[in-house]
Amino acid sequence: MIGQEAENPRPWPVPTTGPRAPARLLPATLPWAETNWLGIGIVSLMMLLLPWGLTLVDGGNYITHLIITFFVWGIVAQCWNLIMGVSGIYSFGQLALFQVGAFTTGVLSFSVGVSPWLSIWAAPVMAVLSSLVIGLPTLRLRGIYVVLLTLAFHELLRNWITTGPQWISAGGFGLPLVPRLGFEHVLGPQYEKVLYYYTGLVLFGLTTYAIWRILNSPIGLAFTALRDSEDYAVSHGVDPFRFKLFLFAFSAFFTGLAGGFSAHYNGSASTSLFDFGVMINLLVMIVLGGWGTFAGPIFGTAALTFLTELLRAFDLYRILALGIAMAIIAVAAPQGLVPLCGRTFHSLFGVFFEAE
Amino acid sequence: MLKVEDLEAGYGGSQVLHSLSLRVGDGETVVVLAPNGHGKTTLLRAISGLIRPRAGRVEFDAMDLTMVPTEQIVAAGVVHIPQGDLPFPEMTVLENLLIGAYRSDAWRARSERLERVFELFPLLANRQRHLARSLSGGERRMLALGRGLMSTARLLMIDEPSLGLSPVVIEQVYAAIHAIKRAGLSILLVDENAEHVDGLADRMYLLEAGVLVREGAADVLLRDQALLATYLG
Amino acid sequence: MLDALLQALYSGVLNGSVYGLMASGLTLIWGSFRMLNLAHGAVYVAGAYIAYGLLSALAWPVPVTFVLAVGGAALIGLVIQLALINPILENPGRDSASLIAALAASIVIQSAILLVFGGQTKQLPPLLDGGFKVGTTLMSYQGLVVIGTAVACLFLMSVFLRVSRRGLAIRAISQNMDAARLMGIPIVPTFVVVMVISSALAGLAGVLLGSILFFTPAAGFTPMLMAMVVTIFGGLGSVTGTIWAAYIIGLMESFVAVFVGPSWAVSGIFLFMVLMLVIRPNGLFGLGEARRL
Repeated sequence: MIGQEAENPRPWPVPTTGPRAPARLLPATLPWAETNWLGIGIVSLMMLLLPWGLTLVDGGNYITHLIITFFVWGIVAQCWNLIMGVSGIYSFGQLALFQVGAFTTGVLSFSVGVSPWLSIWAAPVMAVLSSLVIGLPTLRLRGIYVVLLTLAFHELLRNWITTGPQWISAGGFGLPLVPRLGFEHVLGPQYEKVLYYYTGLVLFGLTTYAIWRILNSPIGLAFTALRDSEDYAVSHGVDPFRFKLFLFAFSAFFTGLAGGFSAHYNGSASTSLFDFGVMINLLVMIVLGGWGTFAGPIFGTAALTFLTELLRAFDLYRILALGIAMAIIAVAAPQGLVPLCGRTFHSLFGVFFEAE
Repeated sequence: MLKVEDLEAGYGGSQVLHSLSLRVGDGETVVVLAPNGHGKTTLLRAISGLIRPRAGRVEFDAMDLTMVPTEQIVAAGVVHIPQGDLPFPEMTVLENLLIGAYRSDAWRARSERLERVFELFPLLANRQRHLARSLSGGERRMLALGRGLMSTARLLMIDEPSLGLSPVVIEQVYAAIHAIKRAGLSILLVDENAEHVDGLADRMYLLEAGVLVREGAADVLLRDQALLATYLG
Repeated sequence: MLDALLQALYSGVLNGSVYGLMASGLTLIWGSFRMLNLAHGAVYVAGAYIAYGLLSALAWPVPVTFVLAVGGAALIGLVIQLALINPILENPGRDSASLIAALAASIVIQSAILLVFGGQTKQLPPLLDGGFKVGTTLMSYQGLVVIGTAVACLFLMSVFLRVSRRGLAIRAISQNMDAARLMGIPIVPTFVVVMVISSALAGLAGVLLGSILFFTPAAGFTPMLMAMVVTIFGGLGSVTGTIWAAYIIGLMESFVAVFVGPSWAVSGIFLFMVLMLVIRPNGLFGLGEARRL
């Protein structure tokens, strides 16, 4: 009697003519999609030398800070994109996992007194464990349930931390004085940011590389198959659940690590990072750049981080504008800007860069 | 009345129907025979708009229905009774029938139409208040037919009316289809075997791998045992 | 003890009424075009703010303003549907695109509200002032108005769905889309009707509750989350089940709040839902859609 489930074998007639969603296995269709080692080498060199140059510039320190912020959120965005954009798991728990990382290392180093260099490793571990705890019940279920359960996890965690005991959250705002990594003692305070920069760069590089490897492996194929048609993949022997769980834990690892690093870099673990606004920001980074592509989240994060700074004065309008931008993208270019630009770029300059 | 010309249709990357042409005249009953998987259902779906034809033309009473959305095709008088019946499981038999008369001209006359359907299918009258998902196979088939009749259909397209039913029930279903024919509706029926269409069909087509290979008067084709044996054997 | 019980009952029915209004809208949308409407909370809060704005600007009688605000919410729903949802219905990436579109809509609505009204908490004047006490439980007349209005609207909607042509069509689409098309039911216009009705219900919930609780631009998020829980509990796509589930969950929430502690109310429900989905995803209350693999 109550809530008998409505049966609907085919929720929407599949369009039989017209464009199909392109396979998204390869990295974004920018000229350096086929591994352009020269390009990567040049970029890497630039990235390594950049912070030193910035210390010589007025306000360079702030720019370094921005880049470090980009590293942190770039990791989270890529991880979230991996599970949501590439594999089609509609999880909204990424931020919560980030916070698990941040607060784990925060609590260990601040309240317990462990050295941050040790406690930071607990961050990804706890994040992975949490992801398994969420993942086991959730990933067997259909899309809408995943959204709900991960949102619920987010709320639960937020509630728990905000109303938690003193050693987790001082007054509901988080931990205000997490010990930092002690870089100020190594080369002097003016070069402190540089060392944070390198740490961030290493983490970012590791994550990006790991994700790139996964996307280009047989596992990556499986993921795209999962996203495009779960039923088809299942009938071909792909066991969705184990893949999803693995993927979930994989992305949780790096997200937790980013959380831990962020806590020590900023010197605090804050409950304000649970805010919906932060989640929206993250989502925009993925959507804007390229939902489900490799380079998309990277560009999206970069774009958004610097845009945010430029538009700091217009904070309120910024959010409104972001919302409108997202709406336009969802309707007009659901694949994001990177593939869009990539196609344009390719059609203009492709002849110079094609490998064959 | 119904004219299909050079119809091409398929799903995703595959092509099922190839340059298919047929026609159904006013008051005619036309049967298309084909083994499973050769495009019977695709044909009806392409005509009724559930899938879009890739090429070709569908014309009904001089109206071009080729790329038109299903709701307008139904309004024009072409009603598709689908394979598998597709009942609304959580609605009662009565509600299922009523929704068949959704179009406003049929809706206004729904009480009379309901009476006529109950006359034709007394089984349904008995099970009015039962949920559609509790019906047996034969009852669901009758429900599908009855539901199709609730609209102001002039051409009824029926997909495999005998599918999955016991011989006794198949008799009943075909008896009902005879009654529908007598009432003056045109019928386009597709099926896998020719057992019950004798006396019902005016003309027949044979469909093989998405191509119409034979056409002719029904009694002629049905007498040709050799043809039927090789074709459907 | 009896007092606590009464308090829990009263709050429970009150919450349940609001959840019913919001959740039935969500379940209609999900049943019809399989979209999780993440903008629902924003529409809910928009209803309250539109009423607030109209009152401040025009000072018309409260009931009239409330009705207009509901209409305003319905209008917002219409715009969202026409501008964002309809264009993407045919796309292959529709599921994620519609999630993002709904999210985008909710951001735009919330930030627009923030810009126009500011972030301080607001409240609406009640339709009826005052209340009466039963023991230590205060039952405000407004609370009874909320319950009464909600019950009436939910009842009307159920009748509409059972008896009217459009209502039957909506149910038909949610039960079998292809069959509905074959009946000649116009699919996209019906979606629009569903969205408008759902948004009106959400706006109504916002307006009614706005005179009992304070609201801020972000206040729609948690009720929307609870409404989603209710929707799943009651069976995705089933309005009757959802209405029942709304009251059950409303009562559960208030009982937890009264007997365990207010901060545990929401968390408790979520924990319960997680347990439910893990232990009996197919069993209770028609959660038959849960398992897929």
